[in-house]
Amino acid sequence: MTLRPFLQQGRPDLPATVFAPWADPNQKPLIRFQNVTKRFGDFTAIDDLSLDIYEREFFALLGPSGCGKTTMMRMLAGFENPTSGRIELAGQDIVPVPPNKRAVNMMFQSYALFPHLTVWDNIAFGLRRDSMPKIDLQRRVEEMLKLTRLEKFARRKPHQISGGQRQRVALARSLAKAPKLLLLDEPLGALDKKLRQDTQFELMDIQEKTGTTFVIVTHDQEEAMTVASRVAVMDEGRLIQVATPADIYEAPNSVYVADFIGDVNILEGTVRATGPNRYHFTWADTGESVTAASERPFSDGQTAHLAIRPEKVQISAERPEGAENAIKGKVHDIAYLGNISTFHVRVAGERIIKAQSANTRRITNRAFTWEDDVWLSWTPTAGVVLSD
Amino acid sequence: MRRAILILVPYLWLLALFLVPFIIVGRISLSDTALARPPYLPQFSWDEGIWAFLSQLDFENFWFLTTDDLYWKAYLSSLQIAITATFFALLIGYPIAYGMARAPEEWRPTLMMLVILPFWTSFLIRVYSWIGILSQEGYLNQILLWAGIIDAPLIILNTNTAVYIGIVYTYLPFMILPIYSALDRLDGSLIEAAEDLGCSRLQAFWLITVPLSKNGIIAGCFLVFIPALGEFVIPSLLGGSETLMIGKILWEEFFNNRDWPVASAVAVVLLLILVVPIVLFQRNQQRQAEEDR
Amino acid sequence: MNIKTLSMTAVLTLTAAAVSANEVRVYNWSDYIDEELLAKFEAETGIKLIYDVFDSNEVLETKMLAGGSGYDVVVPSGTFLQRQISAGAFQKLDKSQLPNLENMWDVVAARTAQYDPGNEYSINYMWGTTGIGVNVGKVKEVLGEDAPMNSLALIFDPANMEKLASCGVHFLDAPTELIPAALKYIGENPDAQDDETISKAEPVLMGVRPFVTKFHSSEYINALANGDICVAFGWSGDILQARDRAAEADNGVEIEYHIPAEGALMWFDQMAIPVDAPNPAGAHAFLNFIMDAQNMAAASNYVYYANGNGASKEFLNEDVIGDTAIYPDEGTLQNLYTTSPYDAGVQRVVTRLWTKVKSGT
Repeated sequence: MTLRPFLQQGRPDLPATVFAPWADPNQKPLIRFQNVTKRFGDFTAIDDLSLDIYEREFFALLGPSGCGKTTMMRMLAGFENPTSGRIELAGQDIVPVPPNKRAVNMMFQSYALFPHLTVWDNIAFGLRRDSMPKIDLQRRVEEMLKLTRLEKFARRKPHQISGGQRQRVALARSLAKAPKLLLLDEPLGALDKKLRQDTQFELMDIQEKTGTTFVIVTHDQEEAMTVASRVAVMDEGRLIQVATPADIYEAPNSVYVADFIGDVNILEGTVRATGPNRYHFTWADTGESVTAASERPFSDGQTAHLAIRPEKVQISAERPEGAENAIKGKVHDIAYLGNISTFHVRVAGERIIKAQSANTRRITNRAFTWEDDVWLSWTPTAGVVLSD
Repeated sequence: MRRAILILVPYLWLLALFLVPFIIVGRISLSDTALARPPYLPQFSWDEGIWAFLSQLDFENFWFLTTDDLYWKAYLSSLQIAITATFFALLIGYPIAYGMARAPEEWRPTLMMLVILPFWTSFLIRVYSWIGILSQEGYLNQILLWAGIIDAPLIILNTNTAVYIGIVYTYLPFMILPIYSALDRLDGSLIEAAEDLGCSRLQAFWLITVPLSKNGIIAGCFLVFIPALGEFVIPSLLGGSETLMIGKILWEEFFNNRDWPVASAVAVVLLLILVVPIVLFQRNQQRQAEEDR
Repeated sequence: MNIKTLSMTAVLTLTAAAVSANEVRVYNWSDYIDEELLAKFEAETGIKLIYDVFDSNEVLETKMLAGGSGYDVVVPSGTFLQRQISAGAFQKLDKSQLPNLENMWDVVAARTAQYDPGNEYSINYMWGTTGIGVNVGKVKEVLGEDAPMNSLALIFDPANMEKLASCGVHFLDAPTELIPAALKYIGENPDAQDDETISKAEPVLMGVRPFVTKFHSSEYINALANGDICVAFGWSGDILQARDRAAEADNGVEIEYHIPAEGALMWFDQMAIPVDAPNPAGAHAFLNFIMDAQNMAAASNYVYYANGNGASKEFLNEDVIGDTAIYPDEGTLQNLYTTSPYDAGVQRVVTRLWTKVKSGT
């Protein structure tokens, strides 16, 4: 497995060769949604949405069910047309183009393998529609079989192979025509967790090898974070944030995104500036205050939320020396997850703050147990201050 | 023990409903006609024993069927009528089944009901009512005359056309239901996948929908073809004197000629002709069951 | 139609197992009795009457030959009766239980003895002729004033039939009626029993076959009465019924029945008791009841067929006894012929010939 350069995108310490076409104003997007709205009767599935996706991107549409992500994908495939707005593929308006004339292929959530055809014929199906010469067709199918490690199963029917193999057939079939854009609708949803993780890396590998632009729809934030170069978090037909996985996680732009991605403590309070990009954050209920850094400007006395990931909260028996933010509390509950433990600590005002620590020692040697008095501490840059 | 009973039940079923009647008919087909009650010989008697009885049986009647071209012409004509009727039933039944499978979910029970509804009325009454529709003074001609489409009434009743209409009408539900059940199971995303891979709507229909409803089509065709081949009631009520069907010949042998042995021979041959499609049908069903598993 | 009869009788056969001593089951032709007689029989004898109908000799015969029909009285036609007697389907009548036998007409009894020697097994119920029904107006319109309406030439001469085809012709779907008539037309013995003579009927029938609208044994009653067809070769009573229906409808259709001058088939419907009748005593009671002069007259007055009961004549309506189409005059009577049953081999030739005539195959 090769490490992909964009796994580290957006980090300022990396050289400029990093894959980040969205940051380059000279780049032309492969796909452009321009003020797209889609209504089904009274229901607005997509609400005046604009979005650019670039060539070679692995782009994830992430959101809860009903957020409009599947509608976005179906509009790209041509199964739905926007009520208003424009969708471009490589600079061309594709709204009037029927699905069978688009250089876009889709891998269906159910895989939609043709049960009456062999694996080989499934993969060859799209190529045959293009009347590809027999020799080229054979070569292409063999290539796809090899790419997806299905050589041995070419003569089997879909019902004679396993779920993971079926998933690979679906992928091979949708890639066979070398589309400009591959759409993947919850591609791993039907697989069990272990297989899903393996397949995620395989997908990334294949995407890289083929250089195809992938757009994946998923409700699984972990999956989106793993595979995507950029993630669009959607809610109620709108884009909430479009950013790299790291930015989505480290710098969510809203409480919704922070809450949707991973585990987080969200504290409510008011802010007051104390220096450049530095603020005092006062909790709404207890009046305690902590220091937080933020590049986003806030006016004094503005209500805001402080979002802080549990793994960024240290837990210790004594107040750590020199810690800018430290709060005393009592261990309320411990969730042991093997590699890490999550401590639910009750602090002033009956509030629970979660802190995670790596289990570097055996469980019997755990430093804290229920009802222990502990200190929680974090750096000013650990949390993100978010406006309402 | 339980297992033995489970295996025994279908065999007893087969024995009671197929084998025993077949042996009775087969035995009559090997007998000779006679002026007696019942009108054939030999009759089995315990005094003479089984061998004396068996020695009097022969295949003369089957040989007789080959001496008159009437019989093979009637078999052939029945085959032709059954195949044609099956074809038309498919032509009409498939779009209906397709429409039902594509209809909104909440309509489907109603549509299904409409297909099954005719079975609630006697088959005979339904065929009789076609006489009222198709006759020269019938509703069809009245409507066509009234609409000015025709000047003189069409002669449909007592022709082969009426027989086709009768058979197609009667057995249409047997065509629709298996096809509908195949189409209903068809995953809509398969069609989208086909379109996505470059098929037009029509190509997707031929390459995906039709092959995937193949088992339904085969089942439907057999369910229409098998009864249509031996059909007697419809041709005798709607057909004309030109309509030559083996069911009618069988009737004449039995009732007009009082030749039960020859009538039985005709029936045995009909059964043998039917065994081929029935076995094929059985195989299709079995394969489908295996695929579903 | 045959099917209807079959399904009806199937129901009856199913219930036949539960026959009680006080029931008598009668199986007669459809539309062949005044139904008031049925109630009268029950009232007079106290026997419950179960009356069922058929419309083809073949169906009846199949039941008789199969046995176990459950009927006490059945009504086959003469030739069928004769064959079924030889097959052992009927029991001899106990004449001591039939005092009304003295009412029977010797002229008819002499003729029915041809089928049932000594009238040992049966009594005559009705008899009639097979002849030509014409829509007078239409036939004259097509063939002119001197149309040969009382001749077999009307239906067997292709020149006439070709013209008549335009207004519609029905033939009985009964080879045992048409083949003797065709033989009579060409001067052969209508009761011929040899293949060679019988096959002479084929060219006659094939010659007019293209002009026959339909071969059917009951539809012609309505078709004739409505004016849908102009000629029917059928049974006397049926054509007379058509005549009355047309008159009642007052639709300008005038129907006449003609006994062909060349001669016509005289047929007899005979009442007999199956050998396995569950209630022979009840059956005899029914036969005796039917042979009552007034009862028999009532039946004939209702169905427009002549009967074999001499004593009933004085009770017959004038439009029955006085109509030569029903009770032919002496001269015509002499010209009527009867047929006898074909043996199995000849029957096959006859059926085959008929299939060829009807289907062309």
